[in-house]
Amino acid sequence: MPPATPRSGLLPGTLDMLVLRTLSLGSLHGYGVAQHIEQISNGALQVEQGSLYPALERLQNAGSIGSKWGKTSTGRRARYYTITAKGERQLGKEIDSFDNVLLAIARVLGRAEKA
Amino acid sequence: MSTFLGLKHRLRSLLFPAAHAKELAEEMQFHMELDTMHQGETKKAAIRFGNRTYYAEEVRRMTWLGALDVTRQDARHAWRGMLHSPAFTAMVVLTLALGIGVNAATFTVLDVLFLREPGGVQAPSEIRRFHVQHFNTGDGVPFYTQSMNYLMYREFAAAVGDPAKLALYSTDNSLRLGRHPRDPKVRGVYATSNYFRVLGAHTVIGRLYNEAEDRLGAGSPVVVVSHRFWKTQLGADSAALGHTLDVGGTKHTVIGVLDPAFGGTELQASDIWIPLAMFPAPSWVTGPWWEEKFNMNGFRALYRLEPGMNENQIVARATQRIRALQRVINPVRPDTQMNTFSGTLLEARGPGKQGYERLISTRLGGVAIIVMLIACANVINLLLARAVRRRHEFSIRLALGISRSRLMRMLTTETLLLAFIATIPAVLAAWWGGTILRQLLLPDVQWYDAALSWRVVLFAFGTALLAGLVAGIIPALQASRPDLNNELKSAARSGGGHRSRLRTTLVVMQAALSLVLLTGSALFVQSLRNVQALNIGFDAPHLIYGLVNFAKGETPPKAVVDAALTDISARLRDRAGVVSVARGWIEPMRGMSWMTFFTAHDSSGSFKHGQPTTSHVSPGYFSTVGMRMLRGRDFSSAVSGSVAPAEVVVNDAFAKRLWPGEDALGQCIHLKTIDAPCSVVVGVVENARMNKVLEDEAALQFYLPFGSPGGVQYGELVVVRTNGSTSIAANELRNGLRAAFPAGEPSVRTMSESLEPEYRPWQLGAKLFTSFGILALVVALIGIYSTVSYSVAQRTHEFGVRIALGAQLGDLLRHVIGEGVRTVLLGVGAGVILVLAGGRLIASLLYGVDASDPWTMMTVALTLLAAAALAAVVPAWRAARVNPLTALRAE
Repeated sequence: MPPATPRSGLLPGTLDMLVLRTLSLGSLHGYGVAQHIEQISNGALQVEQGSLYPALERLQNAGSIGSKWGKTSTGRRARYYTITAKGERQLGKEIDSFDNVLLAIARVLGRAEKA
Repeated sequence: MSTFLGLKHRLRSLLFPAAHAKELAEEMQFHMELDTMHQGETKKAAIRFGNRTYYAEEVRRMTWLGALDVTRQDARHAWRGMLHSPAFTAMVVLTLALGIGVNAATFTVLDVLFLREPGGVQAPSEIRRFHVQHFNTGDGVPFYTQSMNYLMYREFAAAVGDPAKLALYSTDNSLRLGRHPRDPKVRGVYATSNYFRVLGAHTVIGRLYNEAEDRLGAGSPVVVVSHRFWKTQLGADSAALGHTLDVGGTKHTVIGVLDPAFGGTELQASDIWIPLAMFPAPSWVTGPWWEEKFNMNGFRALYRLEPGMNENQIVARATQRIRALQRVINPVRPDTQMNTFSGTLLEARGPGKQGYERLISTRLGGVAIIVMLIACANVINLLLARAVRRRHEFSIRLALGISRSRLMRMLTTETLLLAFIATIPAVLAAWWGGTILRQLLLPDVQWYDAALSWRVVLFAFGTALLAGLVAGIIPALQASRPDLNNELKSAARSGGGHRSRLRTTLVVMQAALSLVLLTGSALFVQSLRNVQALNIGFDAPHLIYGLVNFAKGETPPKAVVDAALTDISARLRDRAGVVSVARGWIEPMRGMSWMTFFTAHDSSGSFKHGQPTTSHVSPGYFSTVGMRMLRGRDFSSAVSGSVAPAEVVVNDAFAKRLWPGEDALGQCIHLKTIDAPCSVVVGVVENARMNKVLEDEAALQFYLPFGSPGGVQYGELVVVRTNGSTSIAANELRNGLRAAFPAGEPSVRTMSESLEPEYRPWQLGAKLFTSFGILALVVALIGIYSTVSYSVAQRTHEFGVRIALGAQLGDLLRHVIGEGVRTVLLGVGAGVILVLAGGRLIASLLYGVDASDPWTMMTVALTLLAAAALAAVVPAWRAARVNPLTALRAE
């Protein structure tokens, strides 16, 4: 489990999962990822945006995403991130374990049938 | 692919940190600008982003470089700490340097014996040597040897399958480049033409000799030289090919220069290689030397174990064949139990009797490890003491939130840094020590490389790492686990119950190990004294002998030599300091010769082993060399010419064996033939050593008057007995010989000089183990001293109370010293157990004393206890002088 960045406000590890999911939909630069998470969650998940960068570094170290410098639509230089095959696999695994945790919590709260 | 991507990224961030940081900054800047655009104002964007510096650092911490940051920080902190307490640092560094240095020095020798394969050989691990185990020995004890003759080689070649796969060679390190004894020596190898192919050696200039040039009986006088020889003796001349070398009187043409890495297969590098067919047969061989059945040994065989060859099958076949060979060549007493073994290229790893160099080297390795352990124990103690002094600092750190593992990492880094600093003096010590060790243990080997090689340095660093970890882990564990509450309050008075137990254990261990080493050295010293005290029959310290070596075929006629030596002897007799001079034909203990004889009951042929040897001596020889005449008398006069001698002197063992229960005086011996005239025994002389200082059975010997025929001529020998310094007489003799024989090369030595190699193993053992033992003792005593000092300092309060309650100086002294001695006593007990358990490891190196000798152990134990008591006295004294008021007040 990667160490929790204390200012992200998320459960540790979920940030990685969110970033991977975002990138699985297409290549984006760092700001694009932050925007996407914020918009799709309707503002409920407000990650302190700087915390994205350690997460991106971590994912790059693991080989789950790759990066390349490119040009934006306005011609500015930006670094674009792409998910890799390994990243897809990691995403699948993390979603599975996340689902399990959710189900367990739901059961404890009495909102789901016991297994 | 993806894993490589990750690795690539990590490497990039490690190797180009500046670029990595710049890109990140650019990215973050871009992010902020976009957000500013969307939010409308920079402040909001800044808040949404968070602390840029913090996140940039987080990113950096995830790179490998970040991990190093922590270590760099720790190292800097450690360095500052070391500068602040120089005495402590010096102590630790020196102790570690001692341990590391000792190990590295021993490694230089062990490396050469066991690890470093001869250079220039392709895949040396595939090469195999043949070893033979003989059972028909003089004393019935089987022995291993690589030595074989040509007939055995043929059998082994058939066992291997293809004669072209088995190479045969003979090394001769006393060849000379010329016929004269004064010509320079050269180390040569006579080898079959397939030798180079088997080993994978090749030339850089010219070529190797081939099968056609190595035909038995028709060998070509060619020679291949080593690269080193070519550089030093042939001047690295590119036109060296075609040059002729005079090897022992035969001219050989240089046809090739080998590659620089190759030096042969032995410990000592060789210079020249000559076809085996050119092997110079000794003078006593009649007929082709490769068909000689006996005494033509000294050859060694090797082959390469190729895939598809079964080593066990080869060895089994070889054994069968040489046993069959035995039945053919030795029908009277075939050695039907003869065995073959396979060995590796490095002889020290192969089967066979372990030479003393190998034995001592391995034992020394063990001793070095023990010294390292003692040194580590000391360092642990020192570090523990220091950790206690710093406990305030650690408590504050821990209270402020440092994790325990982080603190341990910091402390371990400190110790490792100390260890690595210690490596520098250690390597220097290893260089110095390694050179000395090489000289002592393997003096006949000429070392071409310095004792300091990169392997030794690498080994030293490895040892330092290990030592640092071992010595650092325990104090780190201790320091990171203090009782925070107690420590933060004013200075704790406790030494810490469990902590002092650890220190006590360390002292016990040091004492035990010191006992082991000191007992070892005491045993070796005793062995040495026992060996030196042996009566070898000769009065070695007072004897000098001299002879002259001539170039082959240039020996002057016997009459000339005889006259000159008689003259020299007469002149020497008149010199002050010379007691007597005599003549002989063989240096004592340097050679044997046999002569057939017959008596009424026995003949020389009836001796299964231990056949009597003979020697020709002049009158006065026995008293000159120090052999006591037990009964009868010396020869009346020297005899010359071919007359069979009328007088014979026998030694005691001979007399007892041939005429048991009778008086040997007056008995007859018939020399050479049974109807030779009677040679009467006129004297019985005491037994003397035949060959070695250590001989279990007395050799049978009889002596004939000088000048009578028979026996093998080894050279005309002059023996001089002095009653004082031998050097003056030796010089006189040398000058006299040189003057009389300008063409010859005189060789004059004292008997002590020539016996030195025999005593060397025990001298070595005594010297080395004693120095290591004393070293270990000093380190251990320092450990005891520091432990006692420390515990006393911790208990100042307690002692104050005791004094206040009325304790006397003597009571306190007894208390403190008693404690120290009790600890050491435990260690002594443990040490005794270790000695008893490990005694057999050095049993083979001892003489005349048992490895578990109780007197030795007791003496050493008492010495150790006394030394420990002394070491404890000073701190005890200080404890007793404590001012109770100061102690009670101090916190």
